[in-house]
Amino acid sequence: MSSSALALAERWFAQRQWQPFDFQRQVWEAFLAGESGLIHAPTGTGKTYAVWWGALLPWLIRHPDAAAWAGAKAPKLRVLWLTPLRALAADTAQALQAPLSDLGLPWTVARRTGDTSSARKQRQLKQPPSALITTPESLSLILSRPEGKRFFAELETVVVDEWHELLGNKRGVQTELGLARLRRWRPEVRIWGLSATMGNLETARAALLGLDEAGAIRAGRLVRGLVPKEVVIDALIPDAIERFPWAGHMGLKMLPQVIAAIEEGRSALVFTNTRNQTENWYQAILKARPEWAGQIALHHGSLAAKTRRWVEDGLRQGALRCVVCTSSLDLGVDFTPVDRVLQVGSPKGVARLLQRAGRSGHQPGVVSRVTCVPTHAFELVEVVAVRNALAAGQIEARDPVQKPLDVLVQHLVTVALGGGFEAAQLKEEVRSSYAYRALTDAEWEWALRFVSDGGEALTAYSEYQRVRPQNGRYRVPERRIGRRHRLSIGTIVSDAALRVKYLNGGSLGTITESFISRLKPGDKFIFAGRSLEFVRVRDMTAWVRRAKNSRGAIPAWSGTSLPISAALGAAVRAELHQAALDQWDGPEMMAVQPVLTLQKEWSRIPTVGQLLVERLKTREGWHLFFYPFEGKLVHQGLAALFAYRLARRQPLSVALTANDYGFELLSPDPPPLAEALIAEDGIPSLFSRQRLLDEIPASLNASEMARRQFREIARVAGLVFSGFPGQQRSARHLQASSSLFYEVFRKYDAGNLLLRQADREVLERQLEHGRLSQTLARLADSELLLVDLQRPSPLAFPLLVERLQARLSTEKLADRVRRMTVSLEKAASAGTA
Amino acid sequence: MSDLGIEIQGERLHLLPERAVHWPRRRTLVAADLHLGKATSFRTAGIPLPGGITAATLARLGRALVRTRAERFICLGDLLHANSSRTQQLLAMVSAWRQEHRQLEMILVRGNHDFRAGDPPPEWVIDCTNEPLLEAPFAWQHYPAAVAGGYGMGGHLHPAVRLRGGAFSERLPCFYFGQSYGMLPAFGAFTGSMTIRPVNGDSVFVVADDAVIDVSPD
Repeated sequence: MSSSALALAERWFAQRQWQPFDFQRQVWEAFLAGESGLIHAPTGTGKTYAVWWGALLPWLIRHPDAAAWAGAKAPKLRVLWLTPLRALAADTAQALQAPLSDLGLPWTVARRTGDTSSARKQRQLKQPPSALITTPESLSLILSRPEGKRFFAELETVVVDEWHELLGNKRGVQTELGLARLRRWRPEVRIWGLSATMGNLETARAALLGLDEAGAIRAGRLVRGLVPKEVVIDALIPDAIERFPWAGHMGLKMLPQVIAAIEEGRSALVFTNTRNQTENWYQAILKARPEWAGQIALHHGSLAAKTRRWVEDGLRQGALRCVVCTSSLDLGVDFTPVDRVLQVGSPKGVARLLQRAGRSGHQPGVVSRVTCVPTHAFELVEVVAVRNALAAGQIEARDPVQKPLDVLVQHLVTVALGGGFEAAQLKEEVRSSYAYRALTDAEWEWALRFVSDGGEALTAYSEYQRVRPQNGRYRVPERRIGRRHRLSIGTIVSDAALRVKYLNGGSLGTITESFISRLKPGDKFIFAGRSLEFVRVRDMTAWVRRAKNSRGAIPAWSGTSLPISAALGAAVRAELHQAALDQWDGPEMMAVQPVLTLQKEWSRIPTVGQLLVERLKTREGWHLFFYPFEGKLVHQGLAALFAYRLARRQPLSVALTANDYGFELLSPDPPPLAEALIAEDGIPSLFSRQRLLDEIPASLNASEMARRQFREIARVAGLVFSGFPGQQRSARHLQASSSLFYEVFRKYDAGNLLLRQADREVLERQLEHGRLSQTLARLADSELLLVDLQRPSPLAFPLLVERLQARLSTEKLADRVRRMTVSLEKAASAGTA
Repeated sequence: MSDLGIEIQGERLHLLPERAVHWPRRRTLVAADLHLGKATSFRTAGIPLPGGITAATLARLGRALVRTRAERFICLGDLLHANSSRTQQLLAMVSAWRQEHRQLEMILVRGNHDFRAGDPPPEWVIDCTNEPLLEAPFAWQHYPAAVAGGYGMGGHLHPAVRLRGGAFSERLPCFYFGQSYGMLPAFGAFTGSMTIRPVNGDSVFVVADDAVIDVSPD
């Protein structure tokens, strides 16, 4: 029986002039055996049809008579296909539909995302398609409906596409909780993940499949897809390194070489690290080659969906010569015509550059190549480092998020809405997910009380209600609260964003409120590759018209910039070690040699086993520079910790700045560095790992980092609510900023676990606590090179010009305020000038 | 607690770090935007907020009254946050506080929130009036604006200013006195604030913990 179904698959492949790969056959066997698993391979190598045919096979075996297919009723929901990007849903639907149409199978495929109309969503609930493509957020929304259980009654397969993209964040946790729900309803369901290559595939599989009744991680296959093609990493090398910037983000100096590289190929992707750079490079290329208008485009997450779609189609058809983009084009669809990939700015990590390289050379036998475009001199060192790390097989891991209580709190309300829950049963279900496998009873009780009676701090307040037990089942008693909850499901937190629209119609995308708030009517700015004139803000929309000349500010979108990975950091240190010994490795290191030589003359280059610390006095105050080369996040944590330890020796205000190579402490008074290197009773020495778990949170609270992290938590846990659509006014008296919530909780409910989660998240996710602790151990064992600078060294300079990130102070607020002056209205100061 | 004495429109005023103004000549304490029961109305909507917020606001008001021995209190609007703030528990708490300060004369200049939340219950004995309340040289307001017949003094915006010094920056609630009107910071413990940008010639005073500091631009 199974052989005829398999033969059908083989025949379909043959019709398309394909031949199934071994790994695809392996997946089909696994499906027939009822197994789950994870497939890892680069994008565009046949993972989709491996699982899709796998999911079709059981049905084909039960319905072998092809003559009976025509006119048969479409099977109810058998396959749930989760995708992280709704932009991918359309392509996936097309791919899934192809064999159905070719063979005349009675299956139906539908999409359900934030873009789907509510009428269609209602119809889907009544009449489920055979396969549904949706996002983790939309899955949660289905789970919040009482009809959810019936909807999934015949589910056989769940596919999680681009699992690596979800794994490292709270959307992954939301997915895990959804899968746990589906497993309870359909214990036999097969779960398959599709993932790019990463360093911890076993963990990725465990997080996807969860735990069985005995608490053991469920078994599943780990299928390796096509072996990666050969990858070439090279760099465009500036002609004159002396005139090349030591710091800065523009790097437009390389424009002529970039244009030459684009001209070499048929279709090029130019990746940048920020949306701001994308706009910038697009403008610069267009200015240099005005005749390319219409053949080049830009793509980033803030552009209108329609625009992005147009760009993607253009790439697929080979109609575009060049697209400047951000990570928004890292994922998904296959752009076969692309034959040149450039990376502007730091590659940041090995896996990331590998993924981007994979966007080119899709024909068999063609090598993937990515060319790095340095935006400052030191990035050339990174290029060599990434090449070496890749050769040594050092690819980064993505660590799943562990038991975030904000996501759990949201899930409890979701499940209470979706037909209610019995506490003990749901606890068990939640613990069957990998993220919450170690959830303690106390944490569970706290989350349950937080949504039911508000926890201990609230027991005296009868007016609070969100979820209420009725005859042993927790439900949401008030429709209003249910409606509000559904509107705020999800874990993606973005800045308050305004739509950008032309006065005469046409949407361009979204832009942060903080940028718009600085504009006055008539101001020009550049967005979506166009020069625009700001007219006014109304109805959460920034209205604009086309500007005549192409001048104007480019908005900056906030968002944490990715730090270089641990693997890359170590590789950079190894490369610098070579440079310190006067060994120059390849054309990139030869090119950067003059700058590193300057570093050596004005200061030192640290070898592996040395820590360089530089001291400088300027008009601004006393600067201390440390260079651990561990990535920006670890450096932020170290900076806060060191500032805290220094400020415990004497009252001190310190401003902190960090980049991927090191960090700077700036204070108005000389910091007690020499004293801080020696432990004193109760105060550990600067590099000590003692009391870390107390001192890091203390230093974070002093430096406001936890307050910022609380923004996301407050939103996910349902504290901050942005209002019903079209009804913003009536909800206004319920609005408060997350930082106000943070203050109130700190003051009146200090034991609140969401606060502790904020601390923990800063520790684990922002500062990569594990890495921080290892770094301290490494620094403590390092030889200290203390250099007093006459002028900023090439390594110090980028930190001097970087915007300050945090501040920490042990001085009294009033003392600090007395040294400050008030910010004045710009117009007024201009008027008096 | 260190108050700061200033002169506005020829009148001596004390700016209190409790975020209120003391007018000694009239033995009056003035504060704006108490937003009593704000946390309560959030809880009613299913948003869990800790208790003790309104109690803390009332306690601070009590301390300021005792310290200044004021006999009158003028609230410049937004006494109660919302209609859903009027739970039995909250009303009882404020009534008890009123009992402790039963000699005090209380006046409310209605603000936008008061129109929705409704006037306070009669047992609180608060005279309610629409703006402006003219008491020369001042015109007590909720909305900060220039008023005919007196120097307008309001609240409503919850003003704060950003201060900078070298690498450091702070955003702090402030008292603001401009050419045509003045503003008080929000008094309530659970209130946000809005950054204002003063111009040269304005007088601005920030509340930094238990001190009031003059940061007026020259």
